[in-house]
Amino acid sequence: MRNALPDLYEPYDERGQPQVPIEGYRNTVLRNPRRTPFRRPVTRTELTGPMDLSAKLHPGDHNLAVAGPGRVALGSLIHISGRVLDEDGRPVAHAIIELWQANAAGRYFNPLDQRDAPLDPNFIGNGRCHTDAEGRYGFFTIKPGAYPVPDSGRWWRPSHVHFSVLGLGSLSRLVTQMYFPGDPLNDCDRLLFSIPDPVARQRLIARQVPTTEIEGEWLGFTHDMVLRGRRATPPLP
Amino acid sequence: MSRSNAPLPPTGWQTIGPFFPRTFFREGDNDLTRLSADAPPTKRGEPIWLTGRVLEEGGRPCVNAVLEAWQADAGGRFRHPHDPEHDKADPDFLGWGRAWTDAEGWYRFRTVMPGGYRDAARPRAPHVNLAILASGIMRRLVTTVFFPDFPEANAADPVLNAVPEPGLRALLVAQSAAEIEGARAFRFDLLLRGEPDAETPFFAD
Repeated sequence: MRNALPDLYEPYDERGQPQVPIEGYRNTVLRNPRRTPFRRPVTRTELTGPMDLSAKLHPGDHNLAVAGPGRVALGSLIHISGRVLDEDGRPVAHAIIELWQANAAGRYFNPLDQRDAPLDPNFIGNGRCHTDAEGRYGFFTIKPGAYPVPDSGRWWRPSHVHFSVLGLGSLSRLVTQMYFPGDPLNDCDRLLFSIPDPVARQRLIARQVPTTEIEGEWLGFTHDMVLRGRRATPPLP
Repeated sequence: MSRSNAPLPPTGWQTIGPFFPRTFFREGDNDLTRLSADAPPTKRGEPIWLTGRVLEEGGRPCVNAVLEAWQADAGGRFRHPHDPEHDKADPDFLGWGRAWTDAEGWYRFRTVMPGGYRDAARPRAPHVNLAILASGIMRRLVTTVFFPDFPEANAADPVLNAVPEPGLRALLVAQSAAEIEGARAFRFDLLLRGEPDAETPFFAD
């Protein structure tokens, strides 16, 4: 069907996206369809999306490392910043970014994480912010610890943070993970390696800001994320 | 225009994992009829519930799945620049909501019956778009829910017709269920992986 709407979205390049199943990760077998997904025409309902979720998904928790006066989380203090862009490299303003991660011992503040590693009373490990007019975001946090994946056969997750990004169209949704440069565990992580293209994998690894450029006491990492779609959605007139 | 013209490929997806924070969910997140938890619900349209279970292979409940819903308002409009009639869209209707499944795999959305609309060439039947995220799902799964009230519009819908087998198309039509708090309810179960005639049809994202 020929569509009069602008052709903003193309199919994903499969080599740049994760492939399933993944060895030692049983849920990738139990929860992914056998059937190839059906190709559908793209109509208004796929091209649109909520323009302003800030009343629903309140931003404001961009400092995860400080729980209150004198209550600083354990671990290396880091600052993660970057830009959210579309495929044309244009900034995506007012995107919502959710971040969650393990503490410095590799334990999540989540009742479902039952491993022995200690909890940190000063670290919950999740936050939300939105991008500014230039598409920039930033979180103060701590470097998460690595942890073994239960029942997986000696697979350790490298240090990583989870990102959920809501752009201005339904098709621009992104859920991803960010990895840290130079971690040898990156080279044997099955989630990272579910992406066949090595260049695409590299794009999930943050860059460390040279220490000579850091002014404060937070070790800096930069990480840009690219949402699907071209010609960034114009604001409502 | 080919992909090679785009300078930046989209960032690779990864799973939401087992530890998506429960504290990200707040009262009213699963209510599409309100702009925020403390805003009044829209007065336009018929309030309805959309509820069901998310199941994995073997019919076991998929616990802690996250569902995101997006739909048109009761008049079939979206408050978004890509809708030529966005200025007539219901200003009190958000059209987006997020729910997560409980220990039995149940989810529930409060919304209004969406309106249909005419897109470029063909009419779209009233529908709700659903995206599913869960541990093990490396890229979100997307599908569309239709309603039993509109058999003729459903038969003409170009997305529903992208599913070639009639038996599978029927899986995308929600079923009437018992009323909840005086509003009609519709049941829509999702089987993420199963036998060919039972697995929910999903669309390429």
